[in-house]
Amino acid sequence: MLRSLRNIGNLTLKELRAIRGDAVMLVLIAYVFTAAVWLVSQAGSTEVRDLTVAVVDDDRSQLSARLIDAIRPPLFRAPDLLTPEAAQRAQIAGKEVLVVSIPPDLEKDLRAGRGGAVMVLVDATAVAFAGNGTSYVTQALAEAASDYLAPGTGAESPLNVVVRNRFNPNLSATWFTAVMQIINNVTILMLILSGASLLRERERGTIEHVLVMPVHPHEVVLSKVFANGGVILIASVLSLVFVVEGAMGVPIAGSLPLYVAGAAIYVVAVASLGLMMASYTRNMGQYGLLVIPVMILMLLLSGGITPMESMPQWLQILMRTVSPTPHFVAFAQAVLYRGAGLWLVVAELAAMAAMAAVALALVLRRFRKLLS
Amino acid sequence: MGEQIAARIAGLTHRYGKLTALDDVALEIPAGCMVGLIGPDGVGKSTLLGLISGVRKLQSGTLQVLGHDMGSVRERSALGARIAYMPQGLGRNLYPTLSVRENLDFFGRLFGQSAREREARIAMLLEATGLAPFPDRPAGQLSGGMKQKLGLCAALIHDPELLILDEPTTGVDPLSRRQFWDLIDRLRGENGRMSVLVATAYMEETERFDWLAAMNDGKIIATGAPAEIRVQSGAATLEAAFIRLLPGAADEAGVELRPRAARPDAVPAIVAEGLTKRFGDFTAVDHVSFTIPEGEIFGFLGSNGCGKSTTMKMLTGLLEPSSGRSELFGEPLKSSDMTARQRIGYMSQGFSLYGELTVRQNLDLHARLYAVPPARRAARVAEVLAEFDLGEVADKMPESLPLGIRQRLQLAVALIHEPPILILDEPTSGVDPLARDAFWRKLISLSRDRGVTIFISTHFMNEAERCDRISLMHAGRVLEVGAPAEIVTRRGATSLEAAFIACLEGELPPEEAASPPLATMGAPETRPPSALARALGRAWAYSTRETRELLRDPIRLFFALMGPVILLLTMGFGISFDVDRITFAVNDQDRTPESRALIEGFSSIPQFARQEDFSGPDALSRRMERGTPTLALEIPEGFGRDLHRGTEPPEVSLWLDGSMPFRAETAEGYASGVLALLESEITRGNDSAAGLTFTPRFLFNQAFRSADAMVPSMLMLILMLIPAIMSAVSVVREKEAGTMANFHASPVRRIEFLIGKQLPYLALSWIAFWVLIGLALTVFGLSITGSLPVLALAGLLYVTATTAFGLFLSAFTRTQVSAVFATAVIAVIPTVNFSGLIVPVSILGDSARIFGEAFPAAWFQPVTVGVFLKGFGAADVARPLAILCAFAVGYVTLAAVALRKQER
Repeated sequence: MLRSLRNIGNLTLKELRAIRGDAVMLVLIAYVFTAAVWLVSQAGSTEVRDLTVAVVDDDRSQLSARLIDAIRPPLFRAPDLLTPEAAQRAQIAGKEVLVVSIPPDLEKDLRAGRGGAVMVLVDATAVAFAGNGTSYVTQALAEAASDYLAPGTGAESPLNVVVRNRFNPNLSATWFTAVMQIINNVTILMLILSGASLLRERERGTIEHVLVMPVHPHEVVLSKVFANGGVILIASVLSLVFVVEGAMGVPIAGSLPLYVAGAAIYVVAVASLGLMMASYTRNMGQYGLLVIPVMILMLLLSGGITPMESMPQWLQILMRTVSPTPHFVAFAQAVLYRGAGLWLVVAELAAMAAMAAVALALVLRRFRKLLS
Repeated sequence: MGEQIAARIAGLTHRYGKLTALDDVALEIPAGCMVGLIGPDGVGKSTLLGLISGVRKLQSGTLQVLGHDMGSVRERSALGARIAYMPQGLGRNLYPTLSVRENLDFFGRLFGQSAREREARIAMLLEATGLAPFPDRPAGQLSGGMKQKLGLCAALIHDPELLILDEPTTGVDPLSRRQFWDLIDRLRGENGRMSVLVATAYMEETERFDWLAAMNDGKIIATGAPAEIRVQSGAATLEAAFIRLLPGAADEAGVELRPRAARPDAVPAIVAEGLTKRFGDFTAVDHVSFTIPEGEIFGFLGSNGCGKSTTMKMLTGLLEPSSGRSELFGEPLKSSDMTARQRIGYMSQGFSLYGELTVRQNLDLHARLYAVPPARRAARVAEVLAEFDLGEVADKMPESLPLGIRQRLQLAVALIHEPPILILDEPTSGVDPLARDAFWRKLISLSRDRGVTIFISTHFMNEAERCDRISLMHAGRVLEVGAPAEIVTRRGATSLEAAFIACLEGELPPEEAASPPLATMGAPETRPPSALARALGRAWAYSTRETRELLRDPIRLFFALMGPVILLLTMGFGISFDVDRITFAVNDQDRTPESRALIEGFSSIPQFARQEDFSGPDALSRRMERGTPTLALEIPEGFGRDLHRGTEPPEVSLWLDGSMPFRAETAEGYASGVLALLESEITRGNDSAAGLTFTPRFLFNQAFRSADAMVPSMLMLILMLIPAIMSAVSVVREKEAGTMANFHASPVRRIEFLIGKQLPYLALSWIAFWVLIGLALTVFGLSITGSLPVLALAGLLYVTATTAFGLFLSAFTRTQVSAVFATAVIAVIPTVNFSGLIVPVSILGDSARIFGEAFPAAWFQPVTVGVFLKGFGAADVARPLAILCAFAVGYVTLAAVALRKQER
């Protein structure tokens, strides 16, 4: 037992030296956990901003001028005033996401109590923006209309709705993407590092060299998991504390030690998964072809980009069974945003630990076959 | 011809970075004879051969081959088909998954031979080399000797005047080696004008050459006929002569095997009984038995792939035998037995220590893993460093050391725990004679002075003669065991080599050993085809070969065909902006018809899914921390009353889970829609503004389904990523495997090579395109509102552009790993972010838009979306299609410019 621990320690040290010797990888790790986290979260992918709007104004009244005025940055670009035909062409060419069509005599009709309808034509191929863009533009136009037509009545709305956004008061996308970006980086780097650490030894023949020595396969596997996982764990936690919380000012609601514990389990699970896939391929070229689709699936179907509940039920169940990432995303959201305690996330932790155990068992079973 | 000189070299210098491989070489190589280039590893032999064959680019000096100046592109290409070059490494320029015939057919096509000519020449060469019985065997499954014969056939397919062979017999058994040289002799007898230039590490072989040039350290140190060189240095053999020629070699002592004090009563160190190892149907080791007494040096001979390494791995416990058993010092060996491993020192084929650790760190790590006591560890490492003369390089990285020193380091590592048994798998392969002698002096001292039992495999006959006993293995079985002298006598042979050849010949099936008379050379001459036809033929040769290889590589085929399907299915289902079933919970403190009407407003639309009510803020907090509900609604007491009274509007509280902003925004949008409806019902007709309604109309995607819009865009992403990776890997794996040498050495042009490699991937990607369209129409229920032929054409142009993009990137990457990851990263960033996948191009900033439009994806996305959803026809997409065409042509051109026809 003691000798086993010593072997793991010695081999872990060797793996750490290998990582230190790979300058390109170190630069990559440093980059993705600092600059890349910041860049990606600034890109803010699905937040409604700078939406292109065209207005077809057939009314040309005071009211329509007020309505056009209401379409303002930052949510919208300054609207283009177009003829109906030009607006249609522009929308087909994908140049305008929204077209607001104000019918003739709108103000006159409204003042006469005849009612009137403003049409909002939405390019529904821009699915991420069409829905929210429409509700924002409708809201803005309705407010402008009631301010102009019935000044002072706005306060007399029959309902007083108080909306409170919990965990992220301004619904800032940066808060969300920054943390998700760290998780994505952990997944990507862990898969590459752990797979490479096994295949490098296989391509060079050092793996059989180690196995001739009085060293058990599980000591070799665990040392790889600990060394690579440790480096990524530390880098990701530093990134969370100094880049996301420190530099970007995203508040972390929950307990950092709890997050670190969960991240440690996740890192072990992904490292084991990487080693398992690597044990089925012969060289890094093959591993790359295998790992890229897997990586894309793990990232996209984790709940870290679009909500899990939007996926079909069977896919949710499938992903929760084969991938540790949905569990970690749920765990991280619960701990970091909602300040959840251990008892709320224990199921996710158990699921990740179980996956790590299964993957490790498979790696060990494959290990002897590697040599033939 | 009348040319007496095959190659005239003057002032030739070649550098790799700071390293000088050739230093002002001047040499005239005679034509029409066998010329040997001899010298240790890494002295510049391969570089010189590469330059003469035109595979490497001339840096400085002059070089004329067959009277043509190799510095001039025109003269070099005129010469192309008159030289044949077989690079170093067993079958490295062959395609392992292609059969013998397919390999040769490919080479024939590269040299523009007609089908009839190819057939005739292949039949003749296979007959001559004894490969005729195995035309359909994949090259990867041939034995080492057969691989070399196939390589020779490939080199001779176009009947060259100058044949250049770089270490053709390294790692080949003695019989195959002899057959190989006999074959060359017969071919030369038939075609007297052919000059042969060979580099070799086997000094015995060079005795049969007409003329030799010895090299050391980038310089020619002696030239002349073998006899002349022997006389010059006053040595009996060429090997001895060569060692004397080297500077500083004079004081090296020879290798002498001292007699061993036999102890017949002692327990034998190694016993193997009926050891057998099967891999599936293939029996790698077949009932091997031997007994090795303590302190003996036991040599293990045999060709590559005959089961030597497998036997050694079973003895170390790395592999579990299928049947049979082995004992170390009388104790049975089990693979899980850790104490047995403590007794073995093992050196595997090729260098296999950690390149990322220094020499000292490597030794220290092994000392720790072998549990050398901490108190003794430092002393032991120092001891070994001194003993193996590694003190000076102790803190260097092994990669930076010459092969001879690395191999000494490996032996030092194998001995760090002072094991009584050493198992050494071809430790001296590729090491020069001088270093080999030093290594053997070490081994003999270990055996004789310390009683270490040494089990060693080798290809060198002079090393075999230094063993106490040897065994010869062939096809998994041991054919002979005994002392070298004993075997020679038993077989009635003059030398050990001859004894082994006799022994192997007894084993081989008659057709392999036979040497049929050579058919007449010179195929029927046909009218030469036009230049264009020849160019197309060469490109087609690459296409057919690539297709065959691809069809036989399950991992790549799976990636190419199933990758897109899996990606589309999971992303199509997974990336959805349809926010459905938002969970909401209610705390209704009012319980009036009005409050129930409000709740009903939420539960009646499918976007909301109601959960169990909550009782108060604390309960809600706990539930929201767990992640559900996303939306909570609190209706205070008196809500109904206040609503009717109308003096003070009642307050309704909404809580939203903001941890996923997109979902929260959408939920809020739906909620305000529900509330607005309710308000307008209450206040109907109160003011003029209320008469104003806003009617959203969703164009192109009336149902506003995420999949309808996302799936067409995903085609763009998937058909960028996978085809680009595939084509990039296809070129880079040739660089890695060494088959790129065929491109360098044959008359194929860069553009022919690239287009030939691109075609199969283009076809495969277009098939994948149709599969994706099929999935979009069936699984995702999309329909095409525009013109399908237009979409098909756009798809074809797009995959042409993306495969060409991969070719372009392949010019800058050297390993498959970097090709895969670099292509993925470079392809994904613009495609995902700046090509309209999620964010429409129209709302991007100017710089982001321009960046996106610099890649083909941004031009394909509007076409797919347009044809699927907006009813686009040919007129709507003319411009994007033209631009896609330009991308395809542009990338291929750039790739051709970046690709090097010659190595540096």
